[in-house]
Amino acid sequence: MTDIIVNGMSFALPLFIIAVGGIFSERSGVTNLALEGFLGAGAFIGALFVVLTSGWFSPGSQVPMYLAMVFAMIGGALYAVIHAVLCIKFKANQVISGVVVNILAIALTDFLTSQVNAGIFGQSSDKFVMTVSGRLTFQPLANIPVIGGFFTNVYPFEFIIIIVAMISWYVMYRSRFGLRLRACGDNPYAVDAAGCNVGRLQFAAVMISGALSGLGGMCFAYSVFGNYSVSIYTGYGYLAIAAMIFGNWKIPFTLGACLLFGFARAAGYWLIQLMGLPGAYSDLIMTLPYVLTLLLLIFFSKNNRAPRALGEIYDKGKR
Amino acid sequence: MDEYIVEMRHVTKRFPGIVANDDVSLGIKKGEIFALLGENGAGKSTLMSILFGMYEPDEGEVYIRGKKVEVFSPNHATAMNIGMVHQHFKLVSNYTITENIILGMETKRRIGGFLPAVDVASANKKVAELSKRFGLEVNPTQKIEDLNVSMQQRVEILKMLYREAEILIFDEPTAVLTPQEIEFLLDIIREMRRRGKTIILITHKLEEIKKVADRCAILCRGRLVGMCDVAETSTKQMAEMMVGREVSFAQEKLPASFGETLLKVEHLSVNNADGFPVVNDVSFSVRRGEIFAIAGVAGNGQVEVADAIAGLVAAAGGRIFIGEQEITDETVRQRNEHGLAYIPEDRQTWGLILNFTLSENLLLKRYYQEPYCVKGVLHREKFDEKSRELIEAFDIRSGQGEQTTVRSMSGGNQQKAIVARELDQNAPCIVFVQPTRGLDIGAIEHIHSQILAERDKGKAILLVSLELDEIMNLADTIGVIYNGQLLKTAPAEELTANEVGRFMMGVREE
Repeated sequence: MTDIIVNGMSFALPLFIIAVGGIFSERSGVTNLALEGFLGAGAFIGALFVVLTSGWFSPGSQVPMYLAMVFAMIGGALYAVIHAVLCIKFKANQVISGVVVNILAIALTDFLTSQVNAGIFGQSSDKFVMTVSGRLTFQPLANIPVIGGFFTNVYPFEFIIIIVAMISWYVMYRSRFGLRLRACGDNPYAVDAAGCNVGRLQFAAVMISGALSGLGGMCFAYSVFGNYSVSIYTGYGYLAIAAMIFGNWKIPFTLGACLLFGFARAAGYWLIQLMGLPGAYSDLIMTLPYVLTLLLLIFFSKNNRAPRALGEIYDKGKR
Repeated sequence: MDEYIVEMRHVTKRFPGIVANDDVSLGIKKGEIFALLGENGAGKSTLMSILFGMYEPDEGEVYIRGKKVEVFSPNHATAMNIGMVHQHFKLVSNYTITENIILGMETKRRIGGFLPAVDVASANKKVAELSKRFGLEVNPTQKIEDLNVSMQQRVEILKMLYREAEILIFDEPTAVLTPQEIEFLLDIIREMRRRGKTIILITHKLEEIKKVADRCAILCRGRLVGMCDVAETSTKQMAEMMVGREVSFAQEKLPASFGETLLKVEHLSVNNADGFPVVNDVSFSVRRGEIFAIAGVAGNGQVEVADAIAGLVAAAGGRIFIGEQEITDETVRQRNEHGLAYIPEDRQTWGLILNFTLSENLLLKRYYQEPYCVKGVLHREKFDEKSRELIEAFDIRSGQGEQTTVRSMSGGNQQKAIVARELDQNAPCIVFVQPTRGLDIGAIEHIHSQILAERDKGKAILLVSLELDEIMNLADTIGVIYNGQLLKTAPAEELTANEVGRFMMGVREE
């Protein structure tokens, strides 16, 4: 039981912060299928920083991890500029732009990872190997039955994610910027009539989306895998989108969706071990979160409501 | 010249293909209600959009409080205390009234002394106070999506007042309102004048101008053709200046000659989307050469009756016939082919595909027939040929002829396009729902004469209208609908407008 909670949380929270990134973009009216590309590119920059500076820090130091997160956020935000420019400045189809940005990220990070490994370290490898994050266990809370799982072997980034998510919620629902941003997703013409620059708001939203995705991607690299390569993030961007839709584009509900996915995945692993199944079956079990997504979407999508102007290309002159 | 708060001198604005404003000069005094009258497409909205900074004039100058306007942008206009209520409201549907009003100029508070946050609570108070002062009666915490059109309009008005607008522009404010709501709005406008605001009213409804306006400028095809004191000018004079010719308010109507019964509705019931009955056991029949008009206050089920006949909603009970043919369970296309033409209430949603060309829209009901489609291949040149014929016959005006995107056409011409397409079906039975909604006098006159011409050709016509005048002028038989039931059906000559009005309010016969 403890294992399910520990593994579930360490998967659910990075997924959650990526989905929050998606919420920023989509609530501002920009369809964002590019989360996967954002998180991949962001995590690449973070991991690149770690391997390039590995000599600067003493072995086992946790400092590079925190710096990597900062760099991943910056990298994700910068990479997101591609999507923002295509969608907002050039008014491209947002779905196509998102898909293109994803494919580009996979190809580019894969290529660059190999090149950096070959050129700088003289190795042929398609992954950056990093240290494994330390874990914290809180006594005596960890001894509480069941709930203790939430205080056992916790990755430090889980707290960072929770804090960033709280800030995100505050910005979205309490700040002036958030009020205007959410209005763009419903009726950009109203925002324009109120004298605000719709394009600039959406641009900022997409960049925030990139930053949060980059943070989530970096956390994935540090938790489940301990290294960075393309294979660690494929699929999770789309899963985050599913969580966002299932969460009705609201931050608290999306957290619920992510926890569900996280625990479903951890329970799947636990099941494999329990039954001693061969490796081939573990792939089957790993489809569990996705099957769950499909089933949930069938039942819940009726009540869900996407932002009204989502994906609509904002054109001032249209009547 | 400082008696004018707004002055426009020799303003000209051109768009590709048309001159929207041609050398217009006018002055507006502080504290008056100034009406801008003109047909659809006469350039009223363009002129006021210039004042509000949405367009820059190609020639000419604009002065506000004696100062020349250098920069044209809505933000500058707002800073100069000009506000505008657009024809299409610009509201965020999932926000409260207050959130919509403060958007763009939010007041801040500090959570715990440092975190900046939008101060909704104090804004709510301010909005409630403003609403009370001008008699607007809104609840600041209600969401826009729960409000009807009239309330949404009040939110737009509050938005201007909140920004301390002194010059308020209303673009066709009454087009979407019921008669009672119009009275309420006019009261608000008078109240604003009493408080020293300057109001500019863009409209093509003469009665409203007569009721509230002090002075009136009349535009015709982009030119200023007249300026008058409303008190000293008759509505007929204004109408003639606006249209540029003599108009007849009452149509010449030939005596009716009825043929056999064509459209028959028996015990029709219709439920709305929530399964709630909105039409209840309605029966009537329409003969050839007859205009059967359904009168009623909006929302009493009249549109649902028409939609059920057209096949847009399913009947929950009852039967519908055209001649001997029962059409109750037929598809829309089968109904068309059995002789039904339909002019819908909401022309932009049900009548047209806005992003298609005029030519494509005109052929929407024929495109699959020869010669427009031979063996599954469309013949565009036949489309265009037919369209040019209809454009000519129905006088549809547009920028680029049959290749114009329908979205860019004026409301009156969009309606003409629908009427052209439907009448071209030569169907024996025609359903008109609110055919003149939002149109100006010239266009209304045109449509009315077409309805009468179709009747005289021996068509059976069902007319659904909210305008009592329209019904009294056109109908041969009147059915009054109230709460989903036909309360009264009688030949038009046996009823006065007053009696119809009373049945509309639900008064039953003794």
